[in-house]
Amino acid sequence: MRYDDITEAIGATPLVRIDPAVHGLANVDLYAKLELLNPFGSVKDRAAWHMAGPLLSGAAPGDTLVELSSGNTAKALALLAGMHGVPFKSVTNRMKVPEIKELLLLLGAEIDELPGQSECLDPTDTDDPLTRMHQRLAASGGGYLHTDQYFNERNVDAHAYGTGPEIVKDLDGRAPDYFVACVGTAGSSTGVARVLRQHHADVEVVGLVAAKGDFIPGIRTIDEVHEVGLFDPAVYDALETIDADDAIDGLLTLVRRCGILTGPTGGGAFQGAVRFLRTIDAGLTSRKTAVFIVCDRVESYLSYVRDRRPELFGRPPRRNSAGTLTGAELAAAPVLGVGDAQRWLTETNAVVVDLRSPYAFQALHIAGSINIVDEVFAELLPAGLPFSRRRPVLLVCPVGEKSARYSALLTRMGHPDARSLHGGIIAWRDAGAELVRD
Amino acid sequence: MLSLTPRIDTNLQSLLDDHEFLAELLDALGSPLNLVLPRQLAANVAAFRETYRRHRLGGRLYYAHKANRSGALLRELAAGDTGVDVASLGELQHALGAGFTPDRIVATGPKNREFLWLAARTGVTVSVDSADELAELAGIVAGHRLPRVPVSLRLAGFTSTGVRVLTRRSRFGTPAGRLPELLDVLEKHPDQLELTGVAYHLDTVGLPEKAVALEGCLAALDACRARGLRPRSLDIGGGFGVNYLADGAEWDRWTTELGQAVLGRRPRMTWDGHGYGLRAENGTLRGTLALYPAHRPVSGAAYLDRLLGTPAPELGRPLGELLLDHMYDLDIEPGRALLDQCGLVLARVLSADGDAVRLDLNARDVSLEEHGVLMDPVVIPRTGDRRAGPAAVHLFGNLCLEADLITRRTVFLPVLPRPGDLLAFVNTAGYFMDFSATTALRQPVARTVAVHRSGGRHRWCLDEQYWPVHPRQETR
Ligand SMILES: Cc1ncc(COP(=O)(O)O)c(C=O)c1O
Ligand SMILES: Cc1ncc(COP(=O)(O)O)c(C=O)c1O
Repeated sequence: MRYDDITEAIGATPLVRIDPAVHGLANVDLYAKLELLNPFGSVKDRAAWHMAGPLLSGAAPGDTLVELSSGNTAKALALLAGMHGVPFKSVTNRMKVPEIKELLLLLGAEIDELPGQSECLDPTDTDDPLTRMHQRLAASGGGYLHTDQYFNERNVDAHAYGTGPEIVKDLDGRAPDYFVACVGTAGSSTGVARVLRQHHADVEVVGLVAAKGDFIPGIRTIDEVHEVGLFDPAVYDALETIDADDAIDGLLTLVRRCGILTGPTGGGAFQGAVRFLRTIDAGLTSRKTAVFIVCDRVESYLSYVRDRRPELFGRPPRRNSAGTLTGAELAAAPVLGVGDAQRWLTETNAVVVDLRSPYAFQALHIAGSINIVDEVFAELLPAGLPFSRRRPVLLVCPVGEKSARYSALLTRMGHPDARSLHGGIIAWRDAGAELVRD
Repeated sequence: MLSLTPRIDTNLQSLLDDHEFLAELLDALGSPLNLVLPRQLAANVAAFRETYRRHRLGGRLYYAHKANRSGALLRELAAGDTGVDVASLGELQHALGAGFTPDRIVATGPKNREFLWLAARTGVTVSVDSADELAELAGIVAGHRLPRVPVSLRLAGFTSTGVRVLTRRSRFGTPAGRLPELLDVLEKHPDQLELTGVAYHLDTVGLPEKAVALEGCLAALDACRARGLRPRSLDIGGGFGVNYLADGAEWDRWTTELGQAVLGRRPRMTWDGHGYGLRAENGTLRGTLALYPAHRPVSGAAYLDRLLGTPAPELGRPLGELLLDHMYDLDIEPGRALLDQCGLVLARVLSADGDAVRLDLNARDVSLEEHGVLMDPVVIPRTGDRRAGPAAVHLFGNLCLEADLITRRTVFLPVLPRPGDLLAFVNTAGYFMDFSATTALRQPVARTVAVHRSGGRHRWCLDEQYWPVHPRQETR
């Protein structure tokens, strides 16, 4: 396949059958629509291009593309804007997935995070983020191209022209009996449902949203969905909730057993589809087909999964870590009070290692000391002692706790004279001992 | 029943259970009546101190006096080791009179010359909002030949790199980028002004904004040091929040149902279909919920703990560790959070007719609605007999104004109140008690009494009669 530019690679994604041994349904053929294979990595590529294409081709010099998005739409728009030499700015309530934030910055996007709720209520301040953004755009007097994904019909059309017809074509011209999709802007589910119903009036459409108070990146909660302009409850025969656990369970099944590198919403769609279909499977008298959407890929969600399932990332305990010290080792840690330490330092050629942050070290420290921040120090120790056994060491931290732990650890590692400043640099300061700033 | 059950601790509950005591007080002193519980403060102070301890941090806890006018609460704190944040000349006089020595007082907020003079004369720390205010203060100190005054510089408008964290504009504080102008003034008046540190207070529940501000203040302190000054503290203001509701599920359910009601998909659940900031546009919910997040599992000292554990946006190290590394004191100014479970407002039921319950207090006497905090009052029946319930009611105030509703929410009570019954609005000490009380229409402003338990029963005195000089007489 040869293309003139990457946007031509958007769409025409595969429809892949899920092995019945995995989903366990007797009378349903379950297919995954692999939107993760779009060139920018998600279902949002289609909507982003369909909405932004006309805006970008008409862009005047100095225009900026803007959207309220903290995820895949922003990613696709950033790439599209970059291709057209137009800056892109994403405005978000809360950018909660660190990998996506980093990626957007890498792609050259500007990110504005909106403020949190006020602690002392201002009852007149009732504008939603979208309204506030509209106001900012209006106040700026132009120069902004706003794709407006939550209200823009072109978001729906992208799927009514692309995703929906592709599914029908791949099922030999027939619509599936069941269609399951997660709802973010409702663009994909609304557009696909529209096409499927034209072919098969009885197709059952299940929309999936997150449970209240839960968070699944890319989709809305059962409350938030009512704030979406494109959302029309009549599109869905059922609106069901899934939670982060469902999403991760489904993700693990698809990733580990089906070779499909799905993100959480694809996992949630699989889990939600199987749960829904299981309730009707036994009562079915003929074979049925069901389709769900795999919206994007897993790689951006490693920290999201790690926060919720740390055990999946279990690593063996590390050698020489302060966490492995016993109470007896800690109690035996060699320490020196401020007066003794001052004397000892003049008597020996001890090296003073300050474990505080570089910024604090530069502001004020013990003359002649060197700075190895504790996190870095902890990284060095598994590989062995970072200084000679022949040179005594005085470890310094704010209150003398961390330094005591590390002096115990260095002692265990065979250092003959590693001591900790008792009471830390705060005690040193309070005793009136000299601190310098270089 | 769409209840919003308030969180009530055991001491407050024991007071609520003492029906006879409360009824007698109300008979004697009239409706409405404010009750403050000074002895409850200790637990809240201890919780904050525990967070300090966990992070190995030192520094002062200044009670934000604006949250409540009570003298009893102030004097109780004066007897302990906390400080006080005063925001007016009257509050400063009140604090000095309650026994706070000047080294335990910080003056914040808008200040007139008299406020600045008394602050300078007594030597309290002045948290300065602008270069002009700093220069005015220096002028007062020089003109009246006063000793050097400790000052802290309140900053605002911090900038972040990478992801731009936006914050509502504040009318207080100097933009962080204009710190050099403040330092110029300080350098010009070394005999009048002594820098103690920098400060911020942000009116937001958002941790990311506070993280940006705290890190920005650390940079500002470093800039002070680079100019040869010796700052020692960082004051991060108040805004730690309170968890008002017992059950998060009730809050989730109520807010979901409100959205449905605004969209017309269920019957109204507020007076006149009020949407608390939500509105329907073509079947889509617009606006935001202009309500305090009444269920806040992470609030007060736990919120401070969370903030101190938050990685600095740029340096990546937890903020608490950075403060400790720098050997700075952490000062805080909690108002609301320090008064958690420290008071209630009592009112008499005048009539109960259908869904209309009329009370002998008005919306200014218990300003829950104004502050967007929704929680149910507790019914204290006058007689012990059983009555019908539950009941969906509207609570009307005693002002001859259409808008005088204690809350625009339809309130679900476990029993239908009768005339003469009492309603208790609990956990109202922080901002909702007398913050906006008025004598409009010559309606009385509530009296305030201080209540404590000793010798196995509740005792009370007028707020102004309370002094923390009790012999150790707690019940065993
Ligand atoms: C990961 C992910 N899943 C699902 C969706 C939902 O798609 P739609 O916005 O078309 O409802 C989105 C949309 O932002 C998404 O980013
Ligand atoms: C400067 C300052 N400090 C402290 C507070 C107290 O805030 P809170 O009661 O939310 O803790 C306020 C409240 O407005 C304030 O303005």
